[in-house]
Parts: sequence; structure tokens; C-alpha cells
Amino acid sequence: MGTIRNEIRRLRFEHGEMTQQELAEKINLTRQTVNAIELGKYSPSLEAAFRIAAVFGKPLESVFHYSEEE
Amino acid sequence: MSFREKTAWISFSSISVIYASYFWLAFHQRSQGSGPQVAGLVGTIIALVIVQVVLNVAVAIIDPRDAKAPRDEREKLIDLRATRLPYAALAGSVACACIFGAFNAPIIFKTNALLFLLVIAEILRSGCQIIQYRRTA
Repeated sequence: MGTIRNEIRRLRFEHGEMTQQELAEKINLTRQTVNAIELGKYSPSLEAAFRIAAVFGKPLESVFHYSEEE
Repeated sequence: MSFREKTAWISFSSISVIYASYFWLAFHQRSQGSGPQVAGLVGTIIALVIVQVVLNVAVAIIDPRDAKAPRDEREKLIDLRATRLPYAALAGSVACACIFGAFNAPIIFKTNALLFLLVIAEILRSGCQIIQYRRTA
């Protein structure tokens, strides 16, 4: 199984210290789900991942990284 | 803790406590040879509805924004996963109950046996929801 890492924490910081709640409202998810995604405890659907990337104006691969576990 | 997780806790605890009281009373009444327990069952259902409505309204008042928000994809996934195990357990146990139901048991005993299986399935479902909410918290 691989792992999906993300840059959401850093990107939120770079976008005026956007809160998890503000991001959640922009992408129609709950704050708890944004937190779970950020911590890598929940892998979002492809659609949610695209919505998150669109909020930050970045391509998907700049926000999410997949790595194979050894 | 999210609104959905709180409602799962409310469901888990209220069903556990109220139905435990009902089955404890039903068992003792039966062992003492009392009559049908229809009034007890109706009372239990009314008590459960009242407790759940009051607690859910209280939670919604505390955090109205969370309560109004529709379920998101993670919450829907948790609901689906949490339903899978209890459904299998319920289907299997009802099949067993049907086999044993062929024996000449009193109707109130059969009713209570089926109700017990339903309650266990619902407790399992709420428990699975809570575990998955905790895992991704």
C-alpha cells in the first residue's frame, strides 16, 4: 500500500493563514474531513482533491504526492 | 468532535442503556411468570425516541453550523462501512432465529429475540461509526 501525502497545511499558511473551516466551506467538506485529509488519515476522492487544488490555484500534483511504501 | 460523531455516540449510548433496561425487565418478568410485555416495549420505544430527539436537538443547538451541513464524502463512506458488518451479522442471526422460531416458543419470546438482534445490529453500527470517526480524527 502506498501513502498519499499533501501540502495543504503549507498552502493554507501561504494563502493568508486560511483556516481549515474556511477551506472546508470552499470545497463543501466538513472541517473534520479537511483535518483528516491534512493529517493523511483520509484519502479524498479525486473530485475533492481537484477542488482543493483549485482553491489554491495549483495543479493536483503540487498538492498531493503518492509514494510507494517499502 | 463532529456533529455526526456526536449523534453516533448518542445513538450508541441511548440504545445500549434503554434497551438493556428493557431486556433486563423482560427477562425478570418472564422468570416471574408475568404476562405480555407489550406496554413495556411501547414505553421503551417512546423513551428512546424522546431521549434521542432531546439529545440531538441539544447537540444541534450547541453547534448549528455542523448540524445543518449535509454529510460529506468521508461521513457517507463511514456510514456505508459501518453498515456492512452489522448487516451481515443481522442477516445471519435472523436466519438462525427463523430456524429456532419453528420451535413452539411464545410469541413474546420470538418478538423479543428478533428485537434483541435488531438492537445488537444497531449498537454494532453506531460502534463501528464511532471507531471509524476516532481513527480519522
